[in-house]
Amino acid sequence: MSNYSKAPYRWSLAIILLLTITIVWISLMNGTYELTIQEVFRSLFRIEANPDHDLVIFDFRLPRIVLAGLVGFSLGIAGAVLQGITRNGLADPGILGINAGAGAAIVLFMFFFQSQLDLSHWFTIMIQPLFGLIGGLAAASIILIFSLKNGSLDSQRLLLTGIAIGSGFGALALYLSLKMKAADFEMATVWISGSIYNANWVFIASMLPWLLFLVPIIYKKASMLDYFQLEEESMKSLGIVVDREKIVLLLASIGLVSASVSVSGSIGFIGLMSPHIAKRLVGIHHKQVIPICGAIGMFLVITSDFIAKTVFAPVEIPVGIVISIIGVPYFLYLLMKEKA
Amino acid sequence: MSILRTEQIETRYENHTVFKNLDLSVKAGSITTIIGPNGCGKSTLLKTIGRILKQKHGKVYLQEEDLNSIPTKEIAKRLSLLPQHPTAPGELSVEELVTYGRYPHRKNINKLTTEDKETIEWAMDMTNTSVFRTRSIGTLSGGQKQKVWLAMALAQNTDILLLDEPTTYLDMAHQLEVLQIVETLNREYQCSIVMVLHDINHAARFSHEIVAMKKGEIMATGKPIDIINETVLRDVFEIQARVMIDPHNGAPVCYGYEPLNIKTLQRTHG
Repeated sequence: MSNYSKAPYRWSLAIILLLTITIVWISLMNGTYELTIQEVFRSLFRIEANPDHDLVIFDFRLPRIVLAGLVGFSLGIAGAVLQGITRNGLADPGILGINAGAGAAIVLFMFFFQSQLDLSHWFTIMIQPLFGLIGGLAAASIILIFSLKNGSLDSQRLLLTGIAIGSGFGALALYLSLKMKAADFEMATVWISGSIYNANWVFIASMLPWLLFLVPIIYKKASMLDYFQLEEESMKSLGIVVDREKIVLLLASIGLVSASVSVSGSIGFIGLMSPHIAKRLVGIHHKQVIPICGAIGMFLVITSDFIAKTVFAPVEIPVGIVISIIGVPYFLYLLMKEKA
Repeated sequence: MSILRTEQIETRYENHTVFKNLDLSVKAGSITTIIGPNGCGKSTLLKTIGRILKQKHGKVYLQEEDLNSIPTKEIAKRLSLLPQHPTAPGELSVEELVTYGRYPHRKNINKLTTEDKETIEWAMDMTNTSVFRTRSIGTLSGGQKQKVWLAMALAQNTDILLLDEPTTYLDMAHQLEVLQIVETLNREYQCSIVMVLHDINHAARFSHEIVAMKKGEIMATGKPIDIINETVLRDVFEIQARVMIDPHNGAPVCYGYEPLNIKTLQRTHG
């Protein structure tokens, strides 16, 4: 099954990575403290260490860019998986309520512990994805229970209950944040709308294990996602344990989304847009679609975060808002196209 | 020996029971066709014996083994089912779709063995689809598509093939072609076939055994010559059929029919 073309895949991947490197470089240069191309180069590759440049690059800018990249990578892949198993091109971690579930759990965590714990403390940060995961899993299990029909997972119900559960958890998160102290409230709101302005290396360390564990699982199951393009009866007839495959893939993507939400808040639309762009570029084979989705998600979030911090500088807008500004019209465009 | 057998099965959708206490036995090496009016449960029966639907009560035996106790992948090596409305992405190539049929046999999903390749070639040859192997599914006509789906089911290389209305929506030539492929499979490769057909004449011509169903019950089973007659057609389909024997092949042919009106129904049943 490897007789399909690899050229578009290689080209797409190369171009997206090139674009990503460019935007990373531009992000490293621009900001309150301007750096030149050479200065970034010298500092990054340890040719000539300048403590000021090092501080700007390694403590402020780079963690933020890397975090944006990881979040985008996870959300892009999670989106492809969710669209695959629900057979619905409009599925997105945000729509499925996983974001909201993870979000509510983390707000709950902030609500109860924030005043006692230091946000920049590594333990707090490391524990946060775990809370996100619990919330994401809670949301997902409620959604799963409600979408069971005749003992098997009904994809349409999965989406509808996802939307309902999502708004429920969203309301819970909002309610909790309203009960918080003023300072905590502000932090919670910014975080809910999706922001990575307080990125640091510990955040990255807290997220990375999830990625290293879950992305290989998904990549290994990528060809199973190809079979999900057939309808359920054909899959069953081929001897595929459809429900088991669905649950494994669903859990893996919930894990990725929860880890992302825990460090960046709820960033929507990446999981929706990446698979569409990826499929337009490389077709329908998930061994190719999955890596491209990750790359596109990475590029989109890094670019959006760059826009978020520079357009209204020194004021910042949450990156989630920037992505929504791009994402909403794209979503509407997809809806229109689906109808036509 | 029966290759497939049901024992008092009951299948339902949500709260609607399609049939209960249903017994059916399929002879090894035969072509068995289920006929019956819309909604009589023939597709549901096919899906139940193909473990797509799980029965509420009773047992299904595949080669005298309880179907529930066999792993689904193992079943897929012995039995393949072509659903009524299969779907695949339009961009997928014919060859790739046929390759999907090898799933239950493959250990390494990224590499095809010689046996895989040979079976894929055989499946495409049998169904006359190798000529458009590189074309994408979306560019094929309905008839071509159906043959490709049949090729995918054949690539599973099973002893039993279940076909749910394989000829519906096809033109006359393609209908015949599909059924002749089925006949060849049965004759030359000893493949047992159970299918659902709407065309009584096709059922009569290509089957060894006919199962006539109505409202979730099996009304009659037997050889075409014993089933395709005025009485059974009236009871099952509520039509007044005119049947004769085709001198060309000895199969019964229904050459005309009228709806059975209420009066005649009352008269015949006293």
